[in-house]
Amino acid sequence: MLQGIIRIGTHEWEVPMGFVAGMRVPGRFFLSESLGASLEPGAIQQLANVATMPGIIKNSLAMPDIHWGYGFPIGGVAAFDLTEGVISPGGVGFDINCGVRLLATPLAQKDISGRFDLIEKLFHGVPTGVGAKSSLRVTAQELDTMMVQGARWAVEAGYGEQNDLVRCEEGGFMKEANPKEVSIKAKQRGIPQGGTLGSGNHFLELQIVNHIYDQASANAFGLSKGQVCIMIHCGSRGLGHQVCTDHLKVLEGAARKYQIKLPDRQLACAPISSVEGKSYFGAMAASANYAWANRQLITHTTRHIFKKMFGIGYEEMPLVYDVAHNVAKIEEHVIDGRKIKLCVHRKGATRSFGPNTADIPDKLSSVGQPVIIPGSMGTPSFVLRGTSKAMERTFGSTCHGAGRVMSRTQAKKTLSGKEVVASLARQGILVKAPNEAAIADEAPEVYKSSEEVVRVVHEVGLSLLVARLQPLGVIKG
Amino acid sequence: MSYEEVPHTADVKIRIHARTLEELFSDACEALMTVMYGTSRKGIMKREIAVTSPHIDSLLLDFLSEILFISDVEGIVFSKAVVHIAGQNLSAEMEGEPFSKKIHAKGTEVKGISYTGLSIRHDANGYMVDIVFDV
Repeated sequence: MLQGIIRIGTHEWEVPMGFVAGMRVPGRFFLSESLGASLEPGAIQQLANVATMPGIIKNSLAMPDIHWGYGFPIGGVAAFDLTEGVISPGGVGFDINCGVRLLATPLAQKDISGRFDLIEKLFHGVPTGVGAKSSLRVTAQELDTMMVQGARWAVEAGYGEQNDLVRCEEGGFMKEANPKEVSIKAKQRGIPQGGTLGSGNHFLELQIVNHIYDQASANAFGLSKGQVCIMIHCGSRGLGHQVCTDHLKVLEGAARKYQIKLPDRQLACAPISSVEGKSYFGAMAASANYAWANRQLITHTTRHIFKKMFGIGYEEMPLVYDVAHNVAKIEEHVIDGRKIKLCVHRKGATRSFGPNTADIPDKLSSVGQPVIIPGSMGTPSFVLRGTSKAMERTFGSTCHGAGRVMSRTQAKKTLSGKEVVASLARQGILVKAPNEAAIADEAPEVYKSSEEVVRVVHEVGLSLLVARLQPLGVIKG
Repeated sequence: MSYEEVPHTADVKIRIHARTLEELFSDACEALMTVMYGTSRKGIMKREIAVTSPHIDSLLLDFLSEILFISDVEGIVFSKAVVHIAGQNLSAEMEGEPFSKKIHAKGTEVKGISYTGLSIRHDANGYMVDIVFDV
C-alpha cells in the first residue's frame, strides 16, 4: 500500500489529515490487497484533494473500484453541508446520471441462447454508437418536460408502466430540476438523442441469473435462478455532457470569485447556496431526469422487441431497479446523532440505502434498496441490497462497477476486437458493436475484476450480495 | 502535424507537438475527430468557427468544445481546421463532410474536453500540450 496510508480494517484504509495540505477531514477508501496492486497513486491524491473542499462532512470517500478521474476520483463519494459546503461538477462527472437498470423477464436461457437475430434486432432497434440519432423527435417543450419529469414523462407518454417509476431511484426524476439553467446548446444536443445508448462503456446486455446468494431478497426483488434479464447502462448523452462543459466554465470563475482555494483546478466549485451553485444543481438535476427518460425509452424499445419475438407482455418484463452512479443529491443523513441534509456527490458510486430508509419502494422496505452493479463485457454483473452500515459509513453508498486497469492504447496494442469476439463466443456470449475497436477497448481484461470489487463491498457490509448474472449477449456503441 | 495517443487508464490522452500555436490547435482538432470518427474524413463542405477566451489554455478547450458541439448538432465530421489566433480571439476555417454511419462509425464518443494537465508549453522546438478527452 502507498506510503502514508493507514490500514484501519480488513478492507478499509485511511488517508490521514496532512497527506495533502489543507485537508479538513480524513480520506477513507475500501480496497482489498489484490485490488491494491492496481491502485493509482494519483487516485489517492485526488481523494485527499477532495478532503480540502469547504463544508465537507466526515470523510472524503472512495469505493473499491477507485481510479483516477476528473478532480474527484472515480468511485468517489463526498457529502457537503448545505450552508458551508460546495457543489462541484467534478464530483458528478461529464455523464450526469450515467446509471444502470435491470429488467426481469419470464424467459430462460434456452429461449435466447444462440439467438443472434435477437442481438441484431436490439442493435438496430436501439440507436447505438457515435452519431446515432433517435427516431423519436421531441419538441422543445417536450424536452423541457423530459427534463422536469424524467422517467415519469416517458411513462405518461406511453413508454412504460407505473411500476417503472416505483422501482427507479428518485421515482425517476429529481424535483430540483430547472431546465432554464440548461443552455440552448445542451438542449439542441438533447432533442435528437432520446432513446439512444451512446458508446464507450455503455451497453445493453442480455444476462441470466446464474447464482442466488440471498433467496429471500431475490424473491422480493423478483429474481430467480435461470431467469433471463436485460441490463441497460447509459446516461444523459450529449445534453448532460454539454451541461457539464457549460457549468465547469462558470464554476471555475466562481471558485475564484468566492476565494475558494483548491489544490486542483478540476475541483471547480461554488457554494451550494450561491447563484452559480444553484444554477449547476438545477441543470444537473434536469440532465439526470433526461437520463432517466432516456433509459425508460430504451426500456420501451427493448420490451417492444421482446414482445414481438417471444410474445410476452410488457408487464411480464418488470423493472427490478434503476440506479444512478454519477449524480449529486440533497439527502438526509444522521451525523453525530443528528439528522442533517447534505449534498452527497457520487461519481462512479451507487446509492445503497438500507432497510427502512425513505425513497426506497415500500415493498422493499424490510430488504433494502436494490443495487445494480454491472460487470465489464463478458464478466458477471451483480445485484446487491443496501444496508444500514452503508448509511453509517458511506452516506448510503457503494461501488458502481469494475474500473479500468488497462489504457486504450495498451488495449489496442495487445487485443484484437475479432479475437475478443471469438473468445466471448466460445463462452457463449454474443457481441455486436459498430466497430472492432469498440470491442477491444472494452475487453474483460481491461477492467478490474467485478467479482473482487463486489466481494469487498459485501465483506465490508456496504451492500450485500443477492444475485449474480452471467452475460449471454451484448450490444455496444 | 504531430500528435500521438499516450497511455491513460480511463480516458483518451493526446500529446501534440507543433511548430506554431495555430498548428497545435489545428492538430488538436484533427486528434479529436480521429478519436471520434476514425481517419477517413473528407473536406467537401466549409464552416467557420469563432471563439473567445481569456487564456490560451481555455481558448484551446473552448475551441475543441465548440467543435464537439457543432459536430454533434450539425452532423459534420471535420477533416481540417485552419486556425487564426489574435490575443483572446480565435477564428477557424473548417472543412468537413456530413456524418455517415458507413464511413465514420469507427471511433468513440467524446463526452467532454478535460482541464486535466491542460497547459500549453512553449520552447525552442515549438509548442506542446497534453489533452485528455473524457470518453
